[in-house]
Amino acid sequence: MGELVEFLRTVMNDPFGFLDLPVRQVITDIVNWIVATFRDFSRAYISPPVRGVMNGVQWALSSVPPGLFLLATFIVGWWAASWRVGVFGLIAFALIGFMGVWDQMIITLSLVVTAVFFSVLIGLPLGILSSRSDRFYTILRPVLDIMQTTPPFVYLVPAVMLFSIGNVPGLIATIVFAMPPMIRLTNLGIRSVNAEFIEAEVAFGSTRRQILWKIQFPLAMPTIMAGLNQTIMLSLSMVVIAAIIGAGGLGLEVYAGLERLNIGQAFVGGIGIVLLAMVLDRVTQGLGEKAPGVRHRAE
Amino acid sequence: MIRAENVTKIFGSDPESAIPLLEQNKTKDEIRELTGQTVGVNQASFDIQRGEVFAIMGLSGCGKSTLIRCINRIIEPTAGRIFFKHPERGEQDITELDEEQLRALRKQHMSMVFQHFALLPHRSVLSNVGYGLEIQGRGRKDRQDTAQRVLDMVGLGPWGQSYPAELSGGMQQRVGLARALATEAEVLLMDEPFSALDPLIKVDMQQELTRIQRELQRTILFITHDLDEAMRIGDHIAIMEEGRIVQIGSPEQILVNPRTEYVAKFVEHADPTGVITAGTIALPLDSEEFVPSGERDGIVYRHRHDQPQIRYGQDREGQLREVLVDGQAVPLRRLEETLGEDAVRPVPSERSRVVLTCGEDAVLRHILRSRLYSTLPVIVTNGDGRLRGLIDDPELINGILEKRGHIP
Repeated sequence: MGELVEFLRTVMNDPFGFLDLPVRQVITDIVNWIVATFRDFSRAYISPPVRGVMNGVQWALSSVPPGLFLLATFIVGWWAASWRVGVFGLIAFALIGFMGVWDQMIITLSLVVTAVFFSVLIGLPLGILSSRSDRFYTILRPVLDIMQTTPPFVYLVPAVMLFSIGNVPGLIATIVFAMPPMIRLTNLGIRSVNAEFIEAEVAFGSTRRQILWKIQFPLAMPTIMAGLNQTIMLSLSMVVIAAIIGAGGLGLEVYAGLERLNIGQAFVGGIGIVLLAMVLDRVTQGLGEKAPGVRHRAE
Repeated sequence: MIRAENVTKIFGSDPESAIPLLEQNKTKDEIRELTGQTVGVNQASFDIQRGEVFAIMGLSGCGKSTLIRCINRIIEPTAGRIFFKHPERGEQDITELDEEQLRALRKQHMSMVFQHFALLPHRSVLSNVGYGLEIQGRGRKDRQDTAQRVLDMVGLGPWGQSYPAELSGGMQQRVGLARALATEAEVLLMDEPFSALDPLIKVDMQQELTRIQRELQRTILFITHDLDEAMRIGDHIAIMEEGRIVQIGSPEQILVNPRTEYVAKFVEHADPTGVITAGTIALPLDSEEFVPSGERDGIVYRHRHDQPQIRYGQDREGQLREVLVDGQAVPLRRLEETLGEDAVRPVPSERSRVVLTCGEDAVLRHILRSRLYSTLPVIVTNGDGRLRGLIDDPELINGILEKRGHIP
């Protein structure tokens, strides 16, 4: 009787004493194993293309004279959205230059463009595949959830271990974080194309592939563009975090400012990021509204 | 051209389980209760001739849209066979085609028009019309030329560069029709094509379809929930109830002789004046109203004692030779001739001095109108001019109000 009371008391007070889940050790072992196994592979085959694209983009963007860049911003904004957006882009980028962080902005823009390039390159096919196979999407969904909800700080360290310090691990972390909306919205866009259209094209003898490229994809374009917009915004939100592991640009400005308690420097970087984000957002939204599939919503 | 044999579609997790029950004549509700399966189409059989318009009529949920989709297998039938007379390969069973052959059939031989048009919003009208040709793999120039030609045919020639959203409903459906015509498929499946249109536009489109059909002579399967539309367009009509075809016949047969309570209810409010023909309502010569006149193969319509006696003189071959009213010869006139004339209010005495004749296929509406010119019974003759019967007021009134005739 007394033993039972004693047992119950132990269970109530400390029910967790019975089992010690060695998650920490297991994860450490797994990560160590992954790093040991894939380090050579990732440094040989993943780093070079990512770094190559990054360097290429950065070289291209920085070789444009800033004045010409401002003019181009105006024209792109005008063409993609409206003259208001063009003027807004011009002013925003000019402000960045006047604050003295033009070069940092070019680096950040290159980081974003590179991350978005790879997010689309991988995300678009995965999104299309998800829309065609329920089973594939069922498997992919929890992976996307993990990618989006795991705090980026958690995978910064393994990223550094795999890719060493610099822009590359920052880019990899950014791609992991920013790609899910591309996949999700591509999938959603294709799946939500009205079944009536698809039925009509089946009745005319179209194959599944013809239906995808002639109907579903163009009609899903506005949703896919919304995914692209989200991906751009998320990669911008990663630039500060990526700076912790050695990525440069406006994020580094913020991070360095924080470290040295130089509030002004941190704010300049922050304002630069916000302005860049706003311009990119308006431009991609404008592009989304120009997509071919928008027409059927015009009624 | 298309022959369906016991085509059946059952929706649910185990469609096969319901088949034996259908054969036992269980109803839709009973089957749902027993097996949990939903009957879409229940053993539908019909035979569509080349060049005819075959209308399938029924209320929403009766399975007509499912049935039409079974024909090109957008919906896979659970049981039954569908035969299509392929222009080169002879009769083939559509239900046995593999995916490749099925696509070829849809590309070349069967096209479809949809209730809500289903035009691609991101393509111009011309490119929509050319869609089927694009799938056929035809070249760009050829596609555009053909599409433009068909677009001209449906009266939308100048609209090729517009987008569907810029067109009215009626125009959009013309584009839908053009898209289906462009592939030169022999068979057109039309799923309630005019149901989403305003009443006036709807009548326009029905006339347009009739006109195009006269020119092109395609085989058309036409779904509708509107009996008047089915009668106006269809050469034959199948009426569906709860997944089953309850009656197939010409519009007139269905109107005059509805086989079930359900069909009768539909027919009750249909307009018979454009459907019922002289041959159906004519009082036949063997009726008691006629007596032989005794001389020269004549026949006398007794009418009533206080009214003029009408004697019809026939020659030996039964050809109508003369008509005498109270012994006075009266001129004969073809009913068709009066149709073009303005309907005035004629002098009453003139209306008893002329007799109109018409063929068996004259419709009720025209006979009714002919009463403006003559109050004497209308004479119905058959193709070779022999006296067939006549139409007096009782026949007309019965035809319109009761939709009944003397010859079933």
